[in-house]
Amino acid sequence: MTPRTFLNGRLLTAVVMLAIFVAMSIMALGFPAKARLMPLLFGIPGSVLALARVIVELRASEHMSDVEKKGNERAQQGEQQMFVWLILFFIGILLFGFIYAAPVLVFAFLCVGKKELLVTGLISAICTWVMLYGLFEIAFAIPLFQGLIVEWLLA
Amino acid sequence: MDLGGIFAALLDVVGSPYHMLLLLIAVPFGMLFGAVPGLGGKLGIVLAIPFVFGMDPLAGAIFLISMHSVVHTGGAIPSILFGVPGTGPDAATVVDGLPMTRKGEAGRAIGAALGASGVGGVIGGLFLLAVLPLLRPVVLAFGPAEFFLLALFGITFIAMLSGDSLSKGLLVGMFGLMLATVNLDPQTGTQRYTFDQLFLWDGIDIITAVLGIFAIPEMLALGAAGGSIAALGKRSATSYGFGGVLQGIGDVFRHWGLTIRTSLIGAFIGMIPGLGGDAASWLCYGHAVQSSKTPERFGSGAVEGVIAPETANNSKEGGSLLPTLFFGVPGSSGMAILLGAFVMLGIQPGPELALTGMDVVWALIWALMIANVLAVVMFFVLAPSFSYLSYVRGSVLIPFVLTLTYLGSYLSHRAWENLVLLTALGVLGYFMKKYDWPRPPFVIGLILGPIVEDSFHKAMALWGPAFLLRRGSLFMLALIAASIGAYVWQLRNKSRGSLA
Repeated sequence: MTPRTFLNGRLLTAVVMLAIFVAMSIMALGFPAKARLMPLLFGIPGSVLALARVIVELRASEHMSDVEKKGNERAQQGEQQMFVWLILFFIGILLFGFIYAAPVLVFAFLCVGKKELLVTGLISAICTWVMLYGLFEIAFAIPLFQGLIVEWLLA
Repeated sequence: MDLGGIFAALLDVVGSPYHMLLLLIAVPFGMLFGAVPGLGGKLGIVLAIPFVFGMDPLAGAIFLISMHSVVHTGGAIPSILFGVPGTGPDAATVVDGLPMTRKGEAGRAIGAALGASGVGGVIGGLFLLAVLPLLRPVVLAFGPAEFFLLALFGITFIAMLSGDSLSKGLLVGMFGLMLATVNLDPQTGTQRYTFDQLFLWDGIDIITAVLGIFAIPEMLALGAAGGSIAALGKRSATSYGFGGVLQGIGDVFRHWGLTIRTSLIGAFIGMIPGLGGDAASWLCYGHAVQSSKTPERFGSGAVEGVIAPETANNSKEGGSLLPTLFFGVPGSSGMAILLGAFVMLGIQPGPELALTGMDVVWALIWALMIANVLAVVMFFVLAPSFSYLSYVRGSVLIPFVLTLTYLGSYLSHRAWENLVLLTALGVLGYFMKKYDWPRPPFVIGLILGPIVEDSFHKAMALWGPAFLLRRGSLFMLALIAASIGAYVWQLRNKSRGSLA
């Protein structure tokens, strides 16, 4: 049986949880006694439980069909596309801020990603800008994050 | 009890056109702040403070308390329709509210949330009116030992929220508790898991965590599926009119026992400083699961799963007024901001208020109840149109919600680093959702974590391990044991049923 046979999302999620618990527990050992009490109180049983979960998923994966492991191909494609958009939203807002990035991203998501009508994309982008700039920046006087690049340029 | 004073305060509120006008303005604003994910009542109060500055103290306080008390009524809308909690305490409504929308019962779910919020708010106020003179010594008697065990009692409810896999639920709960230790250790000042990042010194932002674990996964799943939130097929949108909403409101009265119990639990939890409203909604949701004869329906669209957290969300506002006004100890984070606003207005919370300012206290309690009733009326008129939002194509909805999610995360602490945390938790939350890891225990772990740690250290310093033998501790331990026992008993019954 190859390692690929075992590889599936359920198992990987359990492994990620185990890794988080183990890493946080190990790091806690470096804290002073009082500071590490709570992290270890939850971290050690959490690590044991996560290990048990990994073993359960490992055993379950032996009985899974290939389709179950790989999942629906079309759904996977949609999933990947959404992850790309999430990263684009994150990077866009992080670099260029809400006022500039959000309307462009809304327009791009609708017109490029979802093939909506150009009018729908434009109206949505304008509404987003009006909400962010008009409502928050002007009406509520809440300065929104300008983005790392814009802040750097302005500095 | 000063009945004359109580009813004079009622007349002062409803008999004054100025006060009623303020109530009419405050209620829709409160609902708006609740309905927009990430804004919430706290930001609402902060934004309203400049507007009430210079107002008559009672009028300003009525405006703020009315706005704050209906935030969760509005917060039910995105929770039910989009699976995006407007505020932290509304996250519990998502668990059954969103599945109801998916089953084509958006109107019913909204009606149930509306009715439950209104009834909860009124019961919370009445509860406060009734117990105010009696319960003052009880709140004072709550020490760190009782706080610690009360928080543990909350965590035992994780088991009830864990769905089919107890181990997954416990793990996710512990994950929340672990992340609650990311901060400057309150005992030693040691940086724990902060990686020298200033924004983590005060701990992981709850709003960011809730938005990451709930909102982003919902949008990713919606985008990946490519459909609308409600998989309604050929059913007409017009079927979500007043009928569905009325059915939901009727459900609140059909489950009158649950409604009253969760309202009282919510009001009681609200009274306990520091435990906050987030815990109230989850504890009441857990109670609904635990007390149900068919707990397996929860998580897949049980109307009781909407009623319980919604009653608690609004009733706890009444309860949390008690410590806020009389001890100057806010019952929740929203109340903490409200406390500051009261001081700014010239209302000095503290024991003196019981001697000299009871007219203000009664007026605020009435304002809270009237605001909840007004919110029901306003919401009821608009409810059918809210249901139409379910039919908005997912593709149109996703970018707006993603934008609001990032905006909410940023606004909660004004730290751009939260956007990184939000994205990471969002990805993790998506896989948790996809592979049936229950997400609610994460939130309750994250919220109760600091309370557990702080109370434990204080209790140990004051009494040593003997704190467990205090009368209040024994009572809380009995509650924990009864809760675990009830869960085990339910599991046994379930397995016997399946064998039969």
